[in-house]
Amino acid sequence: MSGSASGAGRSGLSGWVGERLPVQPDKLTAGLNEPVPAHLKAYWYCLGGTPMFLLLVQVVTGILLTFHYRADSAQAYASVERITHDVPYGWWIRSVHHWAAHLMVLTVFLHMVRVFFTGAYRRPRELTWMVGCLVLGLTLLMGFTGYSLIRDQNTYWGVNVASQITSQVPVVGETLRNLLLGGPENGDRTVSRLFVFHIGVLPTLLFLLLGAHLLLVRLHGVADVRRRETGVKTSTYPFFPDHVKTELILAITLTIVLCALAVIFPAPLRAAADPTTTPAHVKPEWYLYFTFRTLKLMGLTAALLVMGAFSFLLFFWPVVDDRIRRKRPGSEVSVWIGCAVVLLLIAFTIWESFA
Amino acid sequence: MTLAQKNWIIAALGLLLVAMLVVVSYREAQSIRHEAEPEAVVTDVNRGCVDCHTVQTPVIAAQWKDSTHGEKGVGCVECHQATEGEPDAFRHEGQWIATIVTPKDCARCHAEIVEEFQGSHHAAAGKILHSLDNVLGEFAEGPAAAANGCWQCHGSEVKLLKDEAGNVLYRDSGAPRFDPMTWPNTGVGRLNLDGTRGSCAACHSRHTFERAVARSPENCGKCHLGPDHPQKEIYDESKHGIAFYTHRHEMNLDSKTWIAGQDYTAAPTCATCHMSATKSQKMTHDPGKRLSWTLRPPVSVRQENYESKREAMQEVCSSCHIRSFYENFYEQFDGAIDLYNNKFAIPGSELMAMLYAKDKLTATPFDDELEWTWFRLWHHEGRRARHGASMQGPDYTQWHGFFEVAENFYGKFIDQVREAADGDEEIIAKLDEILARPEHGWHKGGLPEEMMKRIDEAYRAKYKQSATGER
Repeated sequence: MSGSASGAGRSGLSGWVGERLPVQPDKLTAGLNEPVPAHLKAYWYCLGGTPMFLLLVQVVTGILLTFHYRADSAQAYASVERITHDVPYGWWIRSVHHWAAHLMVLTVFLHMVRVFFTGAYRRPRELTWMVGCLVLGLTLLMGFTGYSLIRDQNTYWGVNVASQITSQVPVVGETLRNLLLGGPENGDRTVSRLFVFHIGVLPTLLFLLLGAHLLLVRLHGVADVRRRETGVKTSTYPFFPDHVKTELILAITLTIVLCALAVIFPAPLRAAADPTTTPAHVKPEWYLYFTFRTLKLMGLTAALLVMGAFSFLLFFWPVVDDRIRRKRPGSEVSVWIGCAVVLLLIAFTIWESFA
Repeated sequence: MTLAQKNWIIAALGLLLVAMLVVVSYREAQSIRHEAEPEAVVTDVNRGCVDCHTVQTPVIAAQWKDSTHGEKGVGCVECHQATEGEPDAFRHEGQWIATIVTPKDCARCHAEIVEEFQGSHHAAAGKILHSLDNVLGEFAEGPAAAANGCWQCHGSEVKLLKDEAGNVLYRDSGAPRFDPMTWPNTGVGRLNLDGTRGSCAACHSRHTFERAVARSPENCGKCHLGPDHPQKEIYDESKHGIAFYTHRHEMNLDSKTWIAGQDYTAAPTCATCHMSATKSQKMTHDPGKRLSWTLRPPVSVRQENYESKREAMQEVCSSCHIRSFYENFYEQFDGAIDLYNNKFAIPGSELMAMLYAKDKLTATPFDDELEWTWFRLWHHEGRRARHGASMQGPDYTQWHGFFEVAENFYGKFIDQVREAADGDEEIIAKLDEILARPEHGWHKGGLPEEMMKRIDEAYRAKYKQSATGER
């Protein structure tokens, strides 16, 4: 058997381990030593690794927060208050979790921008892009559910708006809303329901999809974007340890940025939810401003249709792009559409922030 | 397009995305700061007032801007509006307004509270205008003492200045002139020109109307202190007051809801027990709703429906204390009131009644030394003893209270009654009968020799001298 084969010839601890873990170390190293194109030495080609690192931060800080968080609509806010004011270092853990969430969304956006404009999603990597889109959706949902767990005035009414939108989805709307809120109302069961999504359902899906995303990257190898232009295969260097070192430098930089943000701008805590008083302005987190602005401009149904169409196009963009380029070889229309979408996103977000 | 060009596009868009986040964070930080310190909403109808008064009376404008009224856009006109023909209405910059805001004005938004307040003792505080206290203020002391003293708590009867023909006098600005004897005044029972009683600003100081002010003991202390009703001073020396001043910063005085045990746990204030909401009671603007005794008259009497009123207060006590604790406290307290009533107040008032009935005293109050003595006994010392017992102030109950009652009773009152009786056998027999009662027996009969010996020994052991200072 391979187990005994890998264990044979070795003595002591490594032999003992080798017998029980029938993996050949050379093969494992070879797997990690995957040669990656030299362009990965430029930092913005390393952006894919940053959300991964931030996810790790979220898992660690998130577990620490669950020690003190009470997933109950009536007690949630008080427990966040306790974490912020009483639990030793609670404010810091909460602030790191808060900022890592924001940075995660930002780095996923930046990673997508890079992949989009360099056309790295093109054949044969369409699936990698599509899985990546699902990861984006899950990241946004993680952000929304996490933020809603605070149960302050803003997030309470945010959940009301979200449930209203959800219930407008054709056919399954009401079922979806009941699933989200734990009933037809944003009430007693809502926080525990959102909590289950935030720490159970969504992370499980996220890890599965990230696994698929990484597996696809590994199977296809990193896209050699320069080769497409020059036709010449670019030089490579080993993933391990060279590229891992680059990612480590990014991780260290991010840790410093996170700590600085957490200390200089601790996560705020607004007034407790008050179901009897509708606040003058209800706003989601910034990464949903784009959707929120669209909603305000078009009304619920039209906005749902537009956002649905946009998500659909984003998801199937590799296929759409392929069609375009087949009809008009060498066309850069993708680049211009991408520019327009990103600029629109920026414009809508800033607009909403001033609304 | 070359890869290098695309890289530039990525860099530019990436930078823009980060810049966008900086802008959004800045706006977010601003909105959080505004939530913490919301900005006043100046509506169109108030813009002129606010602009001008920010220069003319900057403090009033600034206080209003900091208030919840300001935050909600309830401005100058909403409270000061008046209709033509009202006694103090005048035309000011295009609006009919009145200087004095009365409960009627407040009721436009706070109707239920005003109605409850109108039924309270606070609203009736102006009734002092027909009381012994007012006789003292207006006659024994003088009108200026009443205007600056009595009426500033009890409330004045607001009047406009008129000429000899009875026409109201006006200032150059067009505003009517208030009689300076009657205004400024924020007495809690003020008698207003529109017929309403009271001034909400007595407790809710204008123009901030902060919850924290209304809930602070100092607020009640504007009136509830001094020799005749030192409730604030009693509170200060009580365990309740000590806890409050030690933990004031933990009192959450600004909180929208303010329920002991829920929104704060450090201490109770006057408002906690007499007015604030509890787990099962609503907030009240009638501070008499939870009082089972009235301790103000010469003889203390139980309030109407005193059982339910006591239950209401005990429910407040139960926010912090166990049942046996507050029930036993009420027995201690009742004991003090019964002692005061039966030993001093009822006998004293009976003797005074006899003296008046037999014309041994004139109907004019305070024209005889005995009337001053009796007034001090119940109105000052007697109240201090009773209020001290009601709010756990040991020194006010004893040294400022019962001690002075006894000193006055045995040292002055008895002799002055005997003198005023002027040989009237019936009155003297009544006095002797009172003094022969067991509770007064010590005064004439003396204390047992054994007890006096023990006192002497104790003093000598402790101070090396007798109880009278003999070495």
